[in-house]
Amino acid sequence: MKVTTYKKFLLVPLMLSIGACSNFVDDINLDPNKPTAVTPPVLLPTALAGSAFANNGELNRFGSVVMNYLAGAAGSPAAYDIFNTNGADFGNQWRFDIYGGALVNYQKLIEAADQNNAKAYTGIAKIMKAYTFSIATDVWGDVPYSQALKGEEFIQPRIDKQEDIYKGNQSLGIQSLFDLIREGLTDLDAASTSKPAAEDIVYGGNIDSWKRAGYTLMLKLANTISRKEPQLATQVINEVLTKNLYINSNALDLNVKFGSNVGSTSPMWNLAIFASFSNELIMSTRFLNVLRPSATDPTKTDPRLAKFFTKPAADYVTIDNGFRGTLPSPSTNWSRYSPYVTGTSGEGPVRLLTNFQRAFILAESALILGTPGNPQTLYTEGITASMKLAGVADADIAAYLAANPAVATLTGTKEQQLEQIITQKWIAWTGNGLESWNDWRRTGYPRLTASQNAVGIDGTRPVRAAYITQEIERNPAFPNPGPQSNVKLWWDVD
Amino acid sequence: MRKRLAGFWLLCVLFALPALAQDRTVTGKVTSSDDGSTLPGVSIQLKGTSRGTTTDSDGNYSLTNVPADARLVFSFIGTATQEIVVGNQSTLNVQLKADASQLSEVVVTAQGIERDRRSLGYSTQDVRGDVLAQRSEPNVLNALQGKLAGVNITGASGAPGASTNINIRGITSFNGSNQPLIVVDGIIFSNDLNQTENTLFGSQPANRLADVNPESIESINVLKGPAAAVLYGSRASAGAIVITTKTGRNMKGKTEVTVNSSYNIQNVSGLAELQNDYGQGTQNNFVNTSANSWGPKFGGPLTQVVTAQGETVPYQAYPNNVKDFYRQGSILQNSFNIASGDERRNFILAVGNTLQKGVIPNTKFNRTNVQVGGESRLNNGIKINGTVTYVQTVQQGVPGGNGGSAFGQLTRIPRSYDLMGRPYQNALGRSIYYNSPTQNHPLWSAYNETLQGQVDRVFGNIQIGYDVTKWLNVSYRATADTYTDRRKFVAAIGAARTPAGELREDIFFRSELNGDLIITAQKDNLFLEGLNASLLLGNNINQRKTQNPTIISQQLTIPGFENISNGSVFSASTESSTMRRLMGYYGQLSLGYQNYLFLELTGRVDKSSTLPKANNTYFYPSAAVSFVPTDAFKLNSNVLSYAKVRASIARVGRDADPYLLNSVFEPASYGNNAASITFPISVGTTSLPGFRIDDRIGNSSLTPEFVRSYEFGLNLGLFRNRASIDLAYFDTRSTNQIFNVSVSNSTGYDTRTTNVGSMRNRGIELVLNTTPVRLESGFKWDLILNFTRIRNKVEEIAPGVTQSPITGNAFIGINPSIVLGQPYGVIVGTANVRSPQGEYLINPNTGQFVPGLAGQVIANPNPDWTAGLTNNFSYKGLSLSVLFDTRQGGDLYSFSAADLRSQGHLKVTGVDRDQPRILPGVIEVTNTDGTKTYRPNNIQISAQNYWAGLGGLASEAAVFDATVYRLREVALNYSLPGSLIGKTPFGAISVGVSGRNLFFYAPNFFMDPEVNTQGAGNIQGLDLNGAPNTRNYGVNLRFTF
Repeated sequence: MKVTTYKKFLLVPLMLSIGACSNFVDDINLDPNKPTAVTPPVLLPTALAGSAFANNGELNRFGSVVMNYLAGAAGSPAAYDIFNTNGADFGNQWRFDIYGGALVNYQKLIEAADQNNAKAYTGIAKIMKAYTFSIATDVWGDVPYSQALKGEEFIQPRIDKQEDIYKGNQSLGIQSLFDLIREGLTDLDAASTSKPAAEDIVYGGNIDSWKRAGYTLMLKLANTISRKEPQLATQVINEVLTKNLYINSNALDLNVKFGSNVGSTSPMWNLAIFASFSNELIMSTRFLNVLRPSATDPTKTDPRLAKFFTKPAADYVTIDNGFRGTLPSPSTNWSRYSPYVTGTSGEGPVRLLTNFQRAFILAESALILGTPGNPQTLYTEGITASMKLAGVADADIAAYLAANPAVATLTGTKEQQLEQIITQKWIAWTGNGLESWNDWRRTGYPRLTASQNAVGIDGTRPVRAAYITQEIERNPAFPNPGPQSNVKLWWDVD
Repeated sequence: MRKRLAGFWLLCVLFALPALAQDRTVTGKVTSSDDGSTLPGVSIQLKGTSRGTTTDSDGNYSLTNVPADARLVFSFIGTATQEIVVGNQSTLNVQLKADASQLSEVVVTAQGIERDRRSLGYSTQDVRGDVLAQRSEPNVLNALQGKLAGVNITGASGAPGASTNINIRGITSFNGSNQPLIVVDGIIFSNDLNQTENTLFGSQPANRLADVNPESIESINVLKGPAAAVLYGSRASAGAIVITTKTGRNMKGKTEVTVNSSYNIQNVSGLAELQNDYGQGTQNNFVNTSANSWGPKFGGPLTQVVTAQGETVPYQAYPNNVKDFYRQGSILQNSFNIASGDERRNFILAVGNTLQKGVIPNTKFNRTNVQVGGESRLNNGIKINGTVTYVQTVQQGVPGGNGGSAFGQLTRIPRSYDLMGRPYQNALGRSIYYNSPTQNHPLWSAYNETLQGQVDRVFGNIQIGYDVTKWLNVSYRATADTYTDRRKFVAAIGAARTPAGELREDIFFRSELNGDLIITAQKDNLFLEGLNASLLLGNNINQRKTQNPTIISQQLTIPGFENISNGSVFSASTESSTMRRLMGYYGQLSLGYQNYLFLELTGRVDKSSTLPKANNTYFYPSAAVSFVPTDAFKLNSNVLSYAKVRASIARVGRDADPYLLNSVFEPASYGNNAASITFPISVGTTSLPGFRIDDRIGNSSLTPEFVRSYEFGLNLGLFRNRASIDLAYFDTRSTNQIFNVSVSNSTGYDTRTTNVGSMRNRGIELVLNTTPVRLESGFKWDLILNFTRIRNKVEEIAPGVTQSPITGNAFIGINPSIVLGQPYGVIVGTANVRSPQGEYLINPNTGQFVPGLAGQVIANPNPDWTAGLTNNFSYKGLSLSVLFDTRQGGDLYSFSAADLRSQGHLKVTGVDRDQPRILPGVIEVTNTDGTKTYRPNNIQISAQNYWAGLGGLASEAAVFDATVYRLREVALNYSLPGSLIGKTPFGAISVGVSGRNLFFYAPNFFMDPEVNTQGAGNIQGLDLNGAPNTRNYGVNLRFTF
């Protein structure tokens, strides 16, 4: 009995020793897989690539088809081609590329750079944040903006009116996109503790180029709202012209560069050339007919045709927009976007702001708003810049302009001249459907005829994208049902 | 802690109160009436008192101080209780008769505690190993289908090793695992499902319970509610499955060798019926690259066509083109056991091997198990036991999922496409297919896009117990479960999703260690006669570690060279490790009064590493009561033999997953399988790292989540226990859920980790056991019915949040979600717009449905009720078991069905195809006064536009009622009579045939609705182009010597 009692007490130290090792559970919950803080140089390329994906991914499949550069051979592009789009489209772009990709990481970049006064980074981030927000509002109209990107504070951000996003609204605490860019430009003028280098996959850290890009973005945004808000647009354009700092050579284009390795390639390279969706896109017969002799213009052959599109077979292999018959076979003979758009092996670049765009914007502004500059000079500058960018020899450019006075010379009423400018801008934007979709919605040019088999909501070409279903599900601020793809945006006046 | 220890010692003192003196003695031997063997451990009770004894290992007993008029009650597991008047006898030898329907029996509850079933205040259900063995089913969970009440078991598909989901009493956690805790011989056993690929596109890896060989199982006890499982801690809030493997304990000193062999064949089952009148193309035109069968009718002017490869082939139907993709599979299982010993010392050696060849080409599931175990009781009161098992499991599968996979293509095979009659690859090994090169021939995919895994797993336990005194036992149990799953994913050059090819070495390491110190004290007649008490105090330390390095090698160069050195881009490679620890203290006090009233109180305190320090310690209790009125009030009659009512209440706390407290950054990537980049990217000659903020917002003030459960139950034994009823009602509420609440994506994030919400489960479970026929000749018919009905409701999410997707992979627009007021896991998508009268609105311009309304609940995967009916017929050595089960209601969202229908392959789309059709619905007319009226849709559209318009992938038309009736299992066994084998060295020989999934009837679906592409987990009810089910049948042979 005595021995037993003694043994019982053996338990006491055993129990106590277990109770004592409280360190067993404490302080081991630090994530070894993911850092809680990172530096600006690893955020900048992330965010820049996000802006490029937003412009150049699924929205470019849509824009390229809707703007008739390409036709939809199958899958989603075939639906876009007959004007069908709904809230199930572009969810990934909204979530992963725009808000959850580029924008939130510009925001984190600003926060990280502000901690050590790296103004060069905050300046770039603010300009590109404005650019990326403009994609969102130009595609969807009224979108979360002033309360967006603040997940700790607003889990269901308010929707800001497109008008307020462009113009700002003090009473609602909304900063205009223009002011956001101006803030970024101020940062770029300020001293910075560090500057980006190779991780700036646009300009390699050249701050002067970023300033020019910032001012050029102001031109683009002013141009976008110029039909609705001519006064404001004029004022912004004059501000930029006075500053006299903008993209004025092709070498200064805001190009996001990609690589040729798998996992580094540009979106359109995979979507149009390389990966499993590539047989959903083929060159549009309509665009082919714009660039080469047609019944109405039997002499014209735009020298950019061979630069913009491939021709694996004896002639260009294309289909009409909305075509629903037997597709040309084999698909390896199809005409597709050329390396001008995608790079030889996917390097891109993705062109977000270009010299030709700047010239066409100023031509249009000079013509319509009366801003400084000669419309004809600027128009010719735009065509020439585009052709040079496409790799057309100077002599061939001159020959083309000489041989095609109907293209080269602005003639007729202002409206007719505007049509000429926007039509040429459309051709120049080959490969970037969103930009020319903006112009088409704004001006009605180029003149496009309905696709074969057009369906849509009411048979008309989409003028916006429907709100993302997932966003409607998560944020009661979104109207449900929301506006469909046939309802115009605020700046789309006619 | 000090307080509890003090209480413990006080109890020790109470237990030590001396017993009364005695003067008279009865001795005897208890044997089995079946075979005359001695029965150790038989309980002998002096009736009307609490005194008694048990037989020793030789079946002998001795009871002192027995009055002459005393009655002795002999009871033993699985035998009929006998009551004998002692009279003047001093030697009393008793034979006990086996009684299968005996209701008083020992069951293994949480932490291996053995309890008399009648004392339990909560529901458990046990399954004997012999209803799992010899069933042509390598995965034990599948073998349990239809046999348990309150338990939902759904297989992913018939792909070899595909995971199986199990939930007990519904879903209780928004975010955490709702799989029950698995315990094998006291070892906390991982049933994890490790995914190499996005579950939308992946092949279907096994849940790790598949590493257990069903042949080695002695019994399974299912602890259904939190009250039953609370001693196991947090993870058992979803219930627990306690598996006990075979030992040598019951060998009665003999050595027995058991050999079991079975061979089964498998065939694909449940494929849709397809039309054979129209071929490849659209709008009545032949299109050689089309995935559709909307081409011209066979037998018309078009007799020959040119393929995409330029070959001229006949234009005709190939009725079996899809079916012939599948081959006949097989399952060969062999196992070998040596068991020896007795209650005191025994050992087991078990070896099992399973070789499964899947019905899908190039798939397999092979498993080898080796187990050794044993126990020894020393005379000094020390007991040592341990077991260790090594398993090697090899699984090879083929990716599925929408688009570029074998199964993504199998729903897109035009009826005129000679899928299996022509070569599927060229001399260079590239796929030949109607839409080459962007998609691949399914056979090419099966052989060139594969996932192979090899699991090497060791699990075991060591337990040392010591009887400090007669009433006090101290034991320590250490258990370990560790595995490494070495996966290799191969996507050859030309694969649809990765045209440049990709190789992955994906290694999953997991290790779990548990140490449990358990002190038990028990004392009969505490304070008053007939009050028996036992107290258990325990401490658990737990550590779980995982590591998952993945080397991803992209952009391959040399065709067919499947080594990562073949790649030139490795930037997508990743590494992930986790470690979590938990320390728990638990206690249980059980009181029993006169063997008819029982009370059990438990409590557990956990301290978890995954919660913030300030909130990481939490307590949770349970209480259960059970009352047997038939004994208390002597109500036993020939009609009512036994009745028990029970009730329990429990609360279980649950910690978080590791690393949820902070917002973090991670390597950035963009795009999907059609176009993507992954940082670091190489631009020019520079490699650039890129990080992004993780899409989840962390929360540094998390607190544990809780599940609170009430349960009421009734057990009845009727007609001398010829029939028994076990009825349970439960009501469970989960609160303070640790959930990644979805936030608007315009926040820049996807979710925010928060303690939110409330969810309720209410349900009824019924198990009915009867023996409708029992004849003198030995013929017996047993019938077991189980029924389950569970109602789940999400009562609260977060302020302002009415719906939130469940964590996991989903397509946008098809989100398995929690929605306020709806059951867990409903699928939120885009619903057709309806008129006020509930008819579909039609667009007058197109004749199609108007654009749908986002964010609507379009499917509910939860069944209304389920039931299983087992019939066992036995006559002498012959036994036949037939199991039917049914699932009533619940929806399946089927990509496969929508694909087949909108693309014109399905049989129904071939009917009256030349006739124009009108979609059901109405057209809205706005009158001049602004009011709206509705006129019937009269816009004719073609059959193709009709079936496509009815609904393709992301639409409510892809939702089907998953009601199904199934002949789940038939097993016929014949045990050779002793007279035949008496002179052979064999102890027993039995032969059998069995079949599984022999027949099903799904009234509202044209395929087998029991599929679940995403496998085990919280997302249910989706068929996203996964593998179909199989039908198995075969023979088995078992002999012992």
